[in-house]
Amino acid sequence: MTKILACIDASAYAASVCDLVAWAAKRLALPVELLHVVQRRDAVAQRHDLSGAIGLGAKSELLEELTRLEEADSRLQIERGRVLLATMADRLQADGALAITPLHRHGGIVETIIEREADARVVVIGKRGASHEFATDHIGSKIERVVRASAKPVLIAARASQAPQSVILAYDGSKPAHRALERAANSPLFAGLPIQVVTVGPDDNKHRALLNKARTALSASASVTLTILPGKPEDAIAELMAATPHALLVMGAYGHSPLRTLIVGSTTTTLIRTVHAPVLLVR
Amino acid sequence: MLSIASLQREWLANPRADILAGIVVALALIPEAIGFSIIAGVDPRVGLYASFSIAFIIAFVGGRPGMISAATAAVAVLVVPLVRDHGIEYLFAATILMGIIQVIAGFLRLDMLMQYVSRSVITGFVNALAILIFIAQLPQLMGVTWMTYAMVAGGLAIIYLFPRITKAVPSPLVAIVILTILSIYGGLNVNTVGDMGELPSTLPAFLIPNVPLTLEMLQIILPYSLTMAAVGLLESMMTAQIVDDLTDTGSDKRREMKGQGIANFATGFLGGMGGCAMIGQSVINVKSGGSTRLSTLVAGTFLLFLIVVLGPFVAQIPMPALVAVMIMVSIGTFSWRSIKDLRTNPWQSSVVMIATVVIVVWTHDLAQGVLAGVILSGLFFASKVKRLFTVTSEISADGNARTYRVAGQVFFASSDSFTSAFDYKEVLDRVVIDVSDAHFWDISAIGTLDKAILKFRREGTAVEVIGLNDASAAMVERYALHDKPGADAQLGAH
Repeated sequence: MTKILACIDASAYAASVCDLVAWAAKRLALPVELLHVVQRRDAVAQRHDLSGAIGLGAKSELLEELTRLEEADSRLQIERGRVLLATMADRLQADGALAITPLHRHGGIVETIIEREADARVVVIGKRGASHEFATDHIGSKIERVVRASAKPVLIAARASQAPQSVILAYDGSKPAHRALERAANSPLFAGLPIQVVTVGPDDNKHRALLNKARTALSASASVTLTILPGKPEDAIAELMAATPHALLVMGAYGHSPLRTLIVGSTTTTLIRTVHAPVLLVR
Repeated sequence: MLSIASLQREWLANPRADILAGIVVALALIPEAIGFSIIAGVDPRVGLYASFSIAFIIAFVGGRPGMISAATAAVAVLVVPLVRDHGIEYLFAATILMGIIQVIAGFLRLDMLMQYVSRSVITGFVNALAILIFIAQLPQLMGVTWMTYAMVAGGLAIIYLFPRITKAVPSPLVAIVILTILSIYGGLNVNTVGDMGELPSTLPAFLIPNVPLTLEMLQIILPYSLTMAAVGLLESMMTAQIVDDLTDTGSDKRREMKGQGIANFATGFLGGMGGCAMIGQSVINVKSGGSTRLSTLVAGTFLLFLIVVLGPFVAQIPMPALVAVMIMVSIGTFSWRSIKDLRTNPWQSSVVMIATVVIVVWTHDLAQGVLAGVILSGLFFASKVKRLFTVTSEISADGNARTYRVAGQVFFASSDSFTSAFDYKEVLDRVVIDVSDAHFWDISAIGTLDKAILKFRREGTAVEVIGLNDASAAMVERYALHDKPGADAQLGAH
């Protein structure tokens, strides 16, 4: 059975994730799995004990102390998580989602998402997690890891999401971009929405050919606009998104290796950061 | 394998804490590596190079992030006769062979054998190890001046009391520094590390052990390599379990076995002795905040840096300071709870634990102790399960037939009870043996069933066995004689 996997934590993004999920759930007619991960604080690193002395019963005492520290923290986290899940499930219901299964798990955030996404059509996650909430224009440390590890399209919610009313598809002819194009053409998620295909570069034959290819693929869609923008992709697309309210950006993600990204940076990361609208990443 | 996620989790989860913990471990490794070299009867250099090389390599190839491996007491006590009779080059060769054996053991999935090592045996192993480390300090404490005792006591006092002032500095290091300054400026007449043998002044270099490549040489080192490999893997698997519990994370035991092998194999070529995971150091590492491969790597690298740069200073460290640190390691390794538990645990568990300790301390071979412990646990287990066996019976209304109901486990240990549970001399036409609640485990059990049935038959009683479960029925089908022609003659011959 397929589903939509909605990942929430205690950040302000939880609400907009829910709104976006409700929109997608209605369009795809799929049930929602609402996931919250209890992340235990690491007691080992918390203790700041560099004395290096081990005395009577060192092993059992250490084990007891670590268990005690983590137990108290976990209990608090669990209580908070329960309240969060209940609130957000109510919100989803009010937004009109069909079936909601709340899911509360222990473990690493990224690992749990990857574990649960097996039968998901799409994974929805907030742009930043609770640990990065006020760092504006940054993206959460887990987003890139989730997107790279995930085999599913990942829909990233911005801080305030309204139901998208149009789609902007960033298309550069690369493999991930091509998969994004296919997704835009075939997914019921975008049925009936106007699609604007954007490629960035000089207005020459090569780029026109790209757009023509996109038009052929999108022949079934309601309304298709083709645009060639000059400049650097990350700037041009960000400006276009800012100028188009209620749009959703669809693009291929992380076409390059982590090593290259480390050195020259990543267009994907920059765009997620600068665009204040929902983004669907397809690998 | 080298995905971003695993890189993050296994190396960079908390770099600051890991680097600090690695440094604390490196400082604690110096006295231990020197101490274990002295136990084995080799230059401190050999243990220090080994500790560097094993920790460095295992950081990459091990299966348990955050576990510290280096030259250990468990291996050092084994090689004493080898070094004494044949020299150090044979030790290097034995270390290389030990590594090869461990890699093979990893491929054979011998970590599964750890399932048969009971908790009592593990406790016995740990306690025996602590006692061995302590005993190894005794030569340093015999026939010496009162000054030595005073320094050891002072060192222990600093180690355990200094953390009450601050936990920002490793207290064993403080003890070593203070005692060294005292002995240099006080002109105290005690042994120093420099008196124990050569310290390294350079990086370790690749060398091929200078031994004849003959069958004779192999015959000399093979028994040593086998026990070294076994003991090394045992301690590593146990330590991995302890680190698993402390950090509440999982580990890849099979990869750890192969990793230990690779580390030892390479260490033999760098002029180091064999080693394995260290219980005490791993606990220190976790306690100091280390939990990833990074802390193991830092421990190894920083250790080498320290000994190459601070070599002249290390040579000045008085032996009593070292002895104090080793006594701390011994105390921290010992499971004190097991002493308290001796009275409350089942007596069999206590016997297994004590037997393991006694045999290890007697033979200085942890492998023999564990083997004895495992055999004893097996025997005790069999004798407990054998009691899960009952036979009840009832006579029929006309008094000519009797139904025996057998329940429980029938195997080699309970087969005698099975045979003697029947009254063969009762005059009956028919006997029904209802075994629906019993399980026949082995050919001893089947043999006993045969014997009982044929005994009844000889008295002229017809026997019917009912309710055999599938597994038992399959055993009877294959191995029993009573249901096959000529059974009486064959059994009679026994």
